[in-house]
Amino acid sequence: MSLLVDDLKVYYRTLAGDVRALDGVTFSVADGEIMGLAGESGCGKSTLGNSLIRFDTRMRYVGGHATLDGTELPIWDTLGMNAFRFKKISIVPQYAMSALNPTRKIGDLTADLLTAHGVSPKQELPELRRRLELVGLDPAVLGMFPMELSGGMKQRTVMVLSTLLDPSLLIADEITSALDVSTQKAVGETLVGFRDRGFVKSLMVITHDLSILYQIADTILIMYAGRLAEKASGETIISSPRHPYTRLLISSLPEVGIRYAEKKLTGIPGTPPGLLNPPQGCRFRDRCPLASKKCLEAPPFVEVEDEHFVACWEEAA
Amino acid sequence: MSTSGKLAEPPDLVSELEPPVEPDAKHMSGFRETLHFALRNRKLVFGLSVTLTMLLFAIVGPFLAQHGPLDYGGVLSSAPTTKDGYWFGTTMQGQDVFAQFVTGLRLLFIVGALGGGIAAGIGMVVGFTAGYRGGVVDDILNMITNVVLVIPTFALLLVIAAYLQVRGILTEAVFIGLTSWPWAARALRAQTFSLVSRDFVDMARMSGRSSRQIIFKEIAPNMSSYLFMMFILLFGGAVLIAATLDFIGLGPSGTISLGMMMQLSVQNAALQLGLWWWFVPPGLAIMAVVGSLYVMNVGLDEVFNPKLREL
Repeated sequence: MSLLVDDLKVYYRTLAGDVRALDGVTFSVADGEIMGLAGESGCGKSTLGNSLIRFDTRMRYVGGHATLDGTELPIWDTLGMNAFRFKKISIVPQYAMSALNPTRKIGDLTADLLTAHGVSPKQELPELRRRLELVGLDPAVLGMFPMELSGGMKQRTVMVLSTLLDPSLLIADEITSALDVSTQKAVGETLVGFRDRGFVKSLMVITHDLSILYQIADTILIMYAGRLAEKASGETIISSPRHPYTRLLISSLPEVGIRYAEKKLTGIPGTPPGLLNPPQGCRFRDRCPLASKKCLEAPPFVEVEDEHFVACWEEAA
Repeated sequence: MSTSGKLAEPPDLVSELEPPVEPDAKHMSGFRETLHFALRNRKLVFGLSVTLTMLLFAIVGPFLAQHGPLDYGGVLSSAPTTKDGYWFGTTMQGQDVFAQFVTGLRLLFIVGALGGGIAAGIGMVVGFTAGYRGGVVDDILNMITNVVLVIPTFALLLVIAAYLQVRGILTEAVFIGLTSWPWAARALRAQTFSLVSRDFVDMARMSGRSSRQIIFKEIAPNMSSYLFMMFILLFGGAVLIAATLDFIGLGPSGTISLGMMMQLSVQNAALQLGLWWWFVPPGLAIMAVVGSLYVMNVGLDEVFNPKLREL
């Protein structure tokens, strides 16, 4: 088991009270697994990703544990996490294109980063050049300033740098969101290639784009309003989802070959609940076509089939 | 793929390992590249050459002088002449103006470098810490900064300078340094605040870099031209404050500075008597040093900020 998250609760502090962005999530990511994390905006995807690597100042640790390769991550300890960041757990941020210091050459920047983690830059250099070539970059980029690179080149550079020390877990946060579809595919394949070559042990891909996840992810985890809704293999999630939210989400996606002039594409009516005072019980209750009295109590996240977890009373029964 | 067809020369990280592959490559090593942009900039070259000339003058001048700066014995009020080594003429008391001038120039650089250096150092520590840490640390440091800012510095310097019996040039420089840092700290604090929220700083934090590394390797390079400008302004400021103090007679004892030369020339009515060689060189030197530093600073942005460079 590469990553184990147990009942993790992270709230945002606001003057009006706690915003329960992450309210008790439990899941695991196996060695070599690419896990997609999908859901609507504001459902806690990025909060989950960030809480595993660095709490920002508004985030408050409430409870739960995260274990990576058998070692508990001190995620509430900003300084204590430094030993894990970059070496064990790394991130490719959403803003990969502005993640490089504009006034420093990429080579110097990398050398600093490695030295800061007690690794000799000279020793890593051949590997660094090899990996740059692997993603289609001339190693000469090391002698350039970030502004001399195109957006796509910067993103690939960041991907190579983030995985240079072969971290156990790589979090890719919305990295395909601002790209055109062909580049999206290339980035997705690069991530899979990194996993296959052992540059990263396991991957967490955060996105709201289910189609890219279907192409690259082994498993997909669907989140809704700060809680987990469903986790299963990519194939299962797309072809036979069991949580009502996942079903409605999949049915909202347009399909190739269907003319929607004849058959109207249905969305999910309503909006997700606010997380400042989330409703009791199942948070999807208000929008759920199957909601019953039982749903006033929060459903547990249980394994209904092998490797298929669902949080819904209808399915658990 | 990379834009350059030829394999460019690798950066420092790489050049430690292997010699440059192609000397005529498009990308030069860090230092040569900086030098290339520095030498192309006329303002920088002008400012630098004036400053360096004055510095050279200050270093070798005292060895060339044939008389001590405070020695008497020359012809009184003599215009510049080649005779007896009184190249800049003599004062009304028969002292060698050239010897006084080069000694004063040396003191000018010492006061500027030391006073400006101390002020820049304190300003950087306070500004970076307050801006990066924020919160209570910022509140406390900002309060201290504001308190020092509202102290009537010049009056304080007057009192302290008048209180001391023996005044050295170093004491003067340290006093100036300790009182002129607040505006630098405030400006750096504001700059740091704006840089701390940038994406690459966030990325550095998520890569597990320490605060010190983030400040010096990520934040400081983005305002290196500003840091240098700050030092130049503080240097110039220290020179002017020192000249003012010296001019009103609170200069160092046992030696002579440019400000004291001007004070003595005014006391002896050199202007009215037409002894221009007595007060023109010191005034011109102060103006040249401070002015050329300012001009130099304007040209530095292009050298430090790769985004402003034009090929």
